[in-house]
Amino acid sequence: MVKVFITIVLLIAISFGNVYEKNCVKCHKNGPSLKKIYFDYLLKYSSEKRVKRAMIDFLKNPTIKNSIMPKSYIKKYGVKKKTKLSDTKLKEAIDIYWKKFTIKGKIK
Amino acid sequence: MGTSLLPSEKKSLKSFLFLYIVLSIIILVLGSMLYYNFQKDLMFSNLRPKLNDYAKSVTNRLRQMHNSLGEDLYYPRFSNFKSAIYDADFDKIFSLIKNENIKFDKEIRKVGKKIHFIKVLDEYYLGTKYLVIEIDDDEKWLNEAFKNITLFGSIYLLFMGFIGYFLTRLFLKPMKNSYMLLDNFIKDTTHELNTPISAILANIETIDKTKLDEKLQKKINRIEIAARTISNLYQDLTYLLLDKKINSKIQKLNLKALIKQRVNYFNILAKSKRVSFILNLDENVYINADAKKISKLLDNLISNAIKYNRVGGKIYITLKDRYLSIKDTGVGISKENINEIFDRFKRFNKSEGGFGIGLNIVYMIAKEFNIDIDIRSKEKIGTEVILRW
Repeated sequence: MVKVFITIVLLIAISFGNVYEKNCVKCHKNGPSLKKIYFDYLLKYSSEKRVKRAMIDFLKNPTIKNSIMPKSYIKKYGVKKKTKLSDTKLKEAIDIYWKKFTIKGKIK
Repeated sequence: MGTSLLPSEKKSLKSFLFLYIVLSIIILVLGSMLYYNFQKDLMFSNLRPKLNDYAKSVTNRLRQMHNSLGEDLYYPRFSNFKSAIYDADFDKIFSLIKNENIKFDKEIRKVGKKIHFIKVLDEYYLGTKYLVIEIDDDEKWLNEAFKNITLFGSIYLLFMGFIGYFLTRLFLKPMKNSYMLLDNFIKDTTHELNTPISAILANIETIDKTKLDEKLQKKINRIEIAARTISNLYQDLTYLLLDKKINSKIQKLNLKALIKQRVNYFNILAKSKRVSFILNLDENVYINADAKKISKLLDNLISNAIKYNRVGGKIYITLKDRYLSIKDTGVGISKENINEIFDRFKRFNKSEGGFGIGLNIVYMIAKEFNIDIDIRSKEKIGTEVILRW
């Protein structure tokens, strides 16, 4: 009975997960690490504003030129498809993504 | 004879000295500032290699932290410097520096007693674009710079002082020369004047004018006026020549009596120009001064009032407690000239004779007995000289 209850709760949680979980984590589970990508963006764009702008630019119009991934990876797997999310949803997803991995306040 | 400066010359000498001192100080301040900045830049360039090494140590650690993908986020701490990291939008990522107000416009700058060095990273580990290194400034260079500024500044001021002294002497030389020339000329001629004037006046006094016919009487009167004018001039010149040698014999002077006596003395001269005196003299007004000198002061003021009056004009003399006014109805003095009125050899009306020393004598005597002189004059209306003591 308890097992059934937990399974139901988990299923609900997955189906009602946030926009980041549903649209980003879902695919990246089996793709390039979101954490690694976050740190690569940080290395190239530095500030929160610039990183978020670069991510949005890429996700709305992904090209080889604006991709953060190494050339060899793109050669092998190609560039990801254009996002179908609305601007608001995309922004929301990226905000969640930034908060999840941000190092601000974590440095000791 | 003394060669003391006239007020107008003192003024231009003061302006020159003021300008000279201000310029010297400006040069000193500018020089000191340049030297200070040079020393500061020198200190910065000496520190730069060390600061770059510090920045390198922090950058290496930031790289490790970045490559750990956030697993190892222990920020490096060093005993000899502090550091902070900022992103491309100047937002703080992490800081060990107390001062939050960091300026990024210069690579290196002095902030109070600290030195801030900004290193711009090529790769933004943990998002860091600007790495700030802060070290203490022991200010040894500053003390050394101040010591040098004080030492060389003093030497410079001393040098400029000497130059100023020689420039002033150069500045005064032509003035002194022209004074000496004029003074010597007056000195030489004065001695030759005394005997003939005394002879003329003594002889006139022996003439019994009542026995003479009217025409001759007029002629004798004219000779007497002329002789007295020369005699006054002689006395003025003698006064100027001996001005520092005459000791004052202070006594309580009844001014009403003295004024009446002097007016009487000038009566013949006034009559010749049909100038009349209107006296309004209070009783019992006294001044503690030297009788000869006060007479000389009055003589000069009265003779000026006659000399510069129009024919048929009036002279009002008013005497009250500590107040004497001598007012004429003459040509007056223009506003621009009033300030220079007491300068020696200054004459505003070239049509009248004289050396221009009368008011200079008035000024010297008034100064000796603390008498304030106020001159009110309007061109073509007249001049009023007010004395207060």
